[in-house]
Amino acid sequence: MSNILSIQNINKKFSGKTVLKNINLQIYSHSIIALVGANGAGKTTLINIILGLITSDSGKITFLNTQHWKQITGVMMQDNLALNRIKVKEIINLSRSYFKHPLSYQKLLSLSGLNDLENNYMNQLSGGQKRRLSFALSLSGNPEILFLDEPTVGMDSNARHDFWQEISKLRQNGKTIFVTSHYLEELENIADRFLILQNGSIAFDGSIQSLRNIQGNSLVEFDSELNIKTFTSIQNIISIEQLGQHFQIVTNDPNDLIIAITPYLTAITNLQIKQTNLDTMLLNYREEHNHD
Amino acid sequence: MTNYLFQTKINFERIVLRNKAFFLFDMLLPITFYLLYTKILTTGIPANAMAVWNEDYLVSMMIYSCMLGGIITTSNTLLDDQTSHFKLFISLKPISKFQYYSSMALVFIFLNLISSILICSVGIFINHIDLSLHLLIILICINLLGTIPLILIGALISLAKGSNTVNLLNNLVVFPLAIISGLWWPIRIMPDWLQRIGKIMPTYQLSNLEQTFLHTGSINWHAIINISAWLVIIALLFLVLSRIQKRKGSIFE
Repeated sequence: MSNILSIQNINKKFSGKTVLKNINLQIYSHSIIALVGANGAGKTTLINIILGLITSDSGKITFLNTQHWKQITGVMMQDNLALNRIKVKEIINLSRSYFKHPLSYQKLLSLSGLNDLENNYMNQLSGGQKRRLSFALSLSGNPEILFLDEPTVGMDSNARHDFWQEISKLRQNGKTIFVTSHYLEELENIADRFLILQNGSIAFDGSIQSLRNIQGNSLVEFDSELNIKTFTSIQNIISIEQLGQHFQIVTNDPNDLIIAITPYLTAITNLQIKQTNLDTMLLNYREEHNHD
Repeated sequence: MTNYLFQTKINFERIVLRNKAFFLFDMLLPITFYLLYTKILTTGIPANAMAVWNEDYLVSMMIYSCMLGGIITTSNTLLDDQTSHFKLFISLKPISKFQYYSSMALVFIFLNLISSILICSVGIFINHIDLSLHLLIILICINLLGTIPLILIGALISLAKGSNTVNLLNNLVVFPLAIISGLWWPIRIMPDWLQRIGKIMPTYQLSNLEQTFLHTGSINWHAIINISAWLVIIALLFLVLSRIQKRKGSIFE
């Protein structure tokens, strides 16, 4: 793995409000990097700055080993291209024409899944089809680094499954993928590195396992009519949440927790132990930060 | 070069060939004005004065047609490219913005060429103007070069974003500019203060340039300098506003 992109001291304010502060990142090749955070955390602003669509107030973005970074990057933005009077085959060929070493037309058409619709105008496509086409267009130049901003929005479950299969293949072929998504469970299974952006700063940078080590690796769930105070005094609990009669407890030590709640087992039903998911960990992260 | 030609071909198809209703409207409006002011609203004018009026008004309507094509079509097309995210798509590809804008400008200049030829044809076949083909070709060429600042005004208006604002600005710019430049009625019938403003405008100077050449065969360098100055000012304004929008992060909203 080599360093492919360097992001140094990026700061950005909009109308006096800080959106990004002191962002420093090194992006290495052959990996999938997931950028996650709540709405308004600054994810899209960071991507727009990396891609030169917005200027930062300070800092520097450097694509290493190339003077022509647009030749080695592919981008799938949140918004679909929705031109009225251009056909699918025309936009694919137009996109290919900008690159020195484009993927073949047939390969891109196949990636878009629009083999039978190449003569259709783009505005005749469904939202999911437009999304697939955007993905294929992002690969026109056979990029080394791919930016995907909310790539699976509007795709049905089959299309999402196929999409992540393609992303997996791209990583195997040595591509670097920088992705944001609100479908956290999808990222959990595929990303090598997670960046949590919170209030404009990188709050966490590491693997899902290292995030679990901090945020707790086990989620114990059960239903009970008992008061939450019964459980809050148990040791080694990282967080506890009550939704009606449903309890969710995050811990690094599920065995100790089960022993601690044994005296109350008669008043507990539907007991389950799970691995903590990204959703829960992000929620905890946000709550901790808000309490700080 | 290949991708430039391909991009221009696609732009031509989507803006002209696949948008026929708009294309026809763009062509018909100045022709209708030309016929209205040379065939219907011209009673009591002596024949020799009418021949000069037909020629002068031909020039005015060629310029007016280029204003419609250069300002309204440009601003609406660029706005459409923004709302459909085509500008964003282009910005992320390894081509310069100059390539995108110049490719679009070629299509708009072509549209203006067609409308100029159509108005000249109306002048020749319906109003029987007595101008040589050579002179008409030179007038059309001068007109097309004079269109470039108008296309830049259209690009500038498109930065306003939102179809309501862009349409409002188009109306606020095109029709008053046509009137104070003396394209609809002779500028001498306007108050002095309005004449002074009108005579600074690039469309008045373009009209002046063409009419000087039409009647004397000489080049009006003062008009060329004025139009060039407008070109530089509008281009600088466009660059500055684009940079401000990029800094504010609103360029592709």
